[in-house]
Amino acid sequence: MINLKNVTFKWHKSDSSPTLNIKGLVIEKGEHIFLHGPSGSGKSTLLAILAGINTATSGDVTLLNQTLNKLNNTKRDIFRADHIGIIFQNFNLLPYLSPLENVVLGCQFSKSRQQKALSQSATLNTEATQLLNALGLTEQNHNKNVAELSIGQQQRVAAARAFIGNPEIIIADEPTSALDTQNRESFINLLFKQANNSNSTLVFVSHDETLKPLFDRFIDLISLQEQV
Amino acid sequence: MILAKLAYKSLLNRRASVLLTLFTIAISVMLLLSIERVRIDAKSSFSNTISGTDLIVGARTGDIQLLLSSVFRIGHTNNGVSWKSYQYITSQRGVKWSIPISLGDSHKGQAVLGTTLDYFNHYRFAKKQNLTFNKGRPFAAINEVVLGSEVATKLGYKLGDNIVISHGMGNTSFHHHQDNPFKVVGVFNPTGTPVDKTLHIPLAAIDLIHGGKASLEHEHEHDEHNNLTGHPKQVTAFLMGFNSPLYMLQIRRNINQYKPEALLAIMPTVTLKELWEMLAIVEKTLLLFSFVVILISLLGMLTTLLANLNQRRRELAILRSVGARPWQLFTLISMESLLTTLLGCVVGCALFYSTLFLGADYLQSHAGISVNIAMLSRYELTLIGVIMAAGFIIGLIPATRAYFYSLSDGMSIKT
Repeated sequence: MINLKNVTFKWHKSDSSPTLNIKGLVIEKGEHIFLHGPSGSGKSTLLAILAGINTATSGDVTLLNQTLNKLNNTKRDIFRADHIGIIFQNFNLLPYLSPLENVVLGCQFSKSRQQKALSQSATLNTEATQLLNALGLTEQNHNKNVAELSIGQQQRVAAARAFIGNPEIIIADEPTSALDTQNRESFINLLFKQANNSNSTLVFVSHDETLKPLFDRFIDLISLQEQV
Repeated sequence: MILAKLAYKSLLNRRASVLLTLFTIAISVMLLLSIERVRIDAKSSFSNTISGTDLIVGARTGDIQLLLSSVFRIGHTNNGVSWKSYQYITSQRGVKWSIPISLGDSHKGQAVLGTTLDYFNHYRFAKKQNLTFNKGRPFAAINEVVLGSEVATKLGYKLGDNIVISHGMGNTSFHHHQDNPFKVVGVFNPTGTPVDKTLHIPLAAIDLIHGGKASLEHEHEHDEHNNLTGHPKQVTAFLMGFNSPLYMLQIRRNINQYKPEALLAIMPTVTLKELWEMLAIVEKTLLLFSFVVILISLLGMLTTLLANLNQRRRELAILRSVGARPWQLFTLISMESLLTTLLGCVVGCALFYSTLFLGADYLQSHAGISVNIAMLSRYELTLIGVIMAAGFIIGLIPATRAYFYSLSDGMSIKT
């Protein structure tokens, strides 16, 4: 599913040591991975490489049998749009779109996700509505101004946007750091439920180790990079 | 498609600053179009006012002053040309026709012009067009008047009405020539020249309304209905046409050196050009100003777009994360500036036409410029096109920055 082999990454060619150095990382389909790393451990870099926004300086990054570093920029952008859903830390909705429109946006840059969404519902809007309902955002909030939603509600919308059109991989970058403990757990459980529903692989990144017990598998980024 | 929708929603979301930008662009477009329209129409109004006249002769004054008073009814001359000199000069060899004109009286603020029947035959405007009648006929008796089209429509006169001429210019003249009412016998078609705002009466009547005896003396000799033979002691000016330009140059020299009276002969085409060149500096300054206004409004747009862009880096990162490619973000931002400029131009055109509708009458009555409320000319469309292109090019600057932001920021959310 996700396979990293001898991956290094340098921001600049002149950098003496790489920002990221991973000998091997394999993630199976449908796994819920907790990727832990304190700030500065190369978390954001790894995510950017997984999402195909940056390419590895050396080594191979293979997702769904596609070697990302062998694709050109446009193909990588299309690959991301088709197969990866991303949830950010906070405030990750477009302020000028309604919650519903924000969700639909998730499949508007990808034909294949649009088709998948339409194979499940008659219109993109119905699919988005169903997802929002499933993630616990009541319908009266679907067309509100985004700014009127609480952070927790905004994260649900962001999650729905990541899940629409059933992408194979969901990357969540510190999605719970703005939530309190109680909301954190319920949000993560919603993510699990939705990931199971759509059979997606979930890569959850955080510096907060207290979340560790909730996940199938725990990977520590620092020890991962120390492997020889 | 999705990009257009995003651009539209994003603009709507920032409507306060977008509206301000839009209005500065609209106002500058309106300014540029108005200045250009007035400039071009003023030029054609000017050069269309008189044609086919070789010389205008009046008492000695400035060339332009004589032209303004005799043709445009702007300002006035203190002196005239004596009837004797008029007769002498127009009897020279080579003179094809002449039209004496006498100005100085008015009717409800409209100029009254005393002239002869030659006016109807030889006066030409625009492209050597003769005056034509919308209704009626030339005057044939001393108490008949022919109206310019605007006089008739503005004051609501029709054939057969009796009107009273007052002495001097202006509505509030104390001395009304109550004893001598004139009967409307004809109305000209519109010409777009000062003729439209003029009442034409027989030259002989001018002296009569001023208490002269010119025509009374002759009254017993003539049929009452064909009595135009009187003449005043002097006329304000006269127009002349020649058989050949050679005669014209010679006679012009003679007039300018004429001993018995200080006279001036001008060639209207030459003086019109001089007058226009005098105004050219004003015209060019105005044009420069309106271009500067456009530049400022476009720079204002650039400032707003760049300032907003920094706040929108998060937005760009989100769009990247859902699969938008850098060139799509580039398109999104440049579409926003194009849309703003486009709307600015549309609103600007609307403002331009409302200004025209409101200002056309004023320009016509105060400056003698007949402004054409027509569709946008090819030239004006070109101007708008240039503004649109400039707006688009300026929009490429923030768009390029958005492109590189999206490359360098990647998915990490700044701010």
